[in-house]
Amino acid sequence: MTAYLIGLVVLLLCTLLLGLVRVFSGPSRADRMLASQLFGTTGVAIIVLLALITDMNGLHDVALVMAVLAPITSVAFVHMAGDEQR
Amino acid sequence: MTLELLSVLLAIAGVVFFFAGALGLLRFPDVYSRLHALTKADNLGLGLIVMAAILQSSSPAQWLKLILIWLMVMLSGAVTCHLVARRARRIDSRVDKTLESNARQEESGA
Amino acid sequence: MMHLFDLLLILGLLSFATLSLTVRDVFTSIVLFISTGLIIALTWARLGAPDIAIAEAAIGAGLTGALLLAAWRRLQPAVTDQRTHCRNGSSSPTGADDERH
Repeated sequence: MTAYLIGLVVLLLCTLLLGLVRVFSGPSRADRMLASQLFGTTGVAIIVLLALITDMNGLHDVALVMAVLAPITSVAFVHMAGDEQR
Repeated sequence: MTLELLSVLLAIAGVVFFFAGALGLLRFPDVYSRLHALTKADNLGLGLIVMAAILQSSSPAQWLKLILIWLMVMLSGAVTCHLVARRARRIDSRVDKTLESNARQEESGA
Repeated sequence: MMHLFDLLLILGLLSFATLSLTVRDVFTSIVLFISTGLIIALTWARLGAPDIAIAEAAIGAGLTGALLLAAWRRLQPAVTDQRTHCRNGSSSPTGADDERH
């Protein structure tokens, strides 16, 4: 039962490391930022599954903070690199 | 027992969506289609995994917290993807206008 | 099986940290730094320390990324509106820099 979940967490971590390719080969900066956002969501999923596996309910708070603070960097990116006429 | 089996099946489906999202991020040609692949992984993949976690937790406070996590991720994904798509659209439309005006200048000069 | 997870986590952490220090483009380096903070938060969560993981996710992955992006914006040279004809050739090798104007 838990073994299946551990295998799924390993697969999710592989998915996260796969996104590293897009950070390098992404032609525009928006692509790199999108890869970073996928990292954030995959991290939230990994932490939810880790809380299920190790039976630590305190990890849900980590996932919540990650989910709330994930858009800050993306909004800062659009704000900083967005308007090229300035 | 049936509940645990259902939970594992939901988690497998969520991981499949995450895998499809990462693969789409790698394989799709431009920013808009990559956004399309990314939002599927964000909303549906995390939703299925959260549902799998809900089926195995006991107290209603845990259910509420997990649902709150999912809602926050959906909100941040919607805001981020809207902003990034609007930025990409603005840059593209500016490039189109520049190309049009260049072509017009060449026509009038010729 | 959990050892495989730990091994992949260590591998990812080392590769992200090394690449964020050695890559040439500053923007790519900032994105890699944000991702490194996220993986460090995952590592604290795996080590069983949710409070440090919360602090790392808030500071390392959230606020420092925004501050670094603001600093990167200040470091850009003055913006001049030079729209050249080569903008339609975004598949060219210089396509990585086509938003630098």
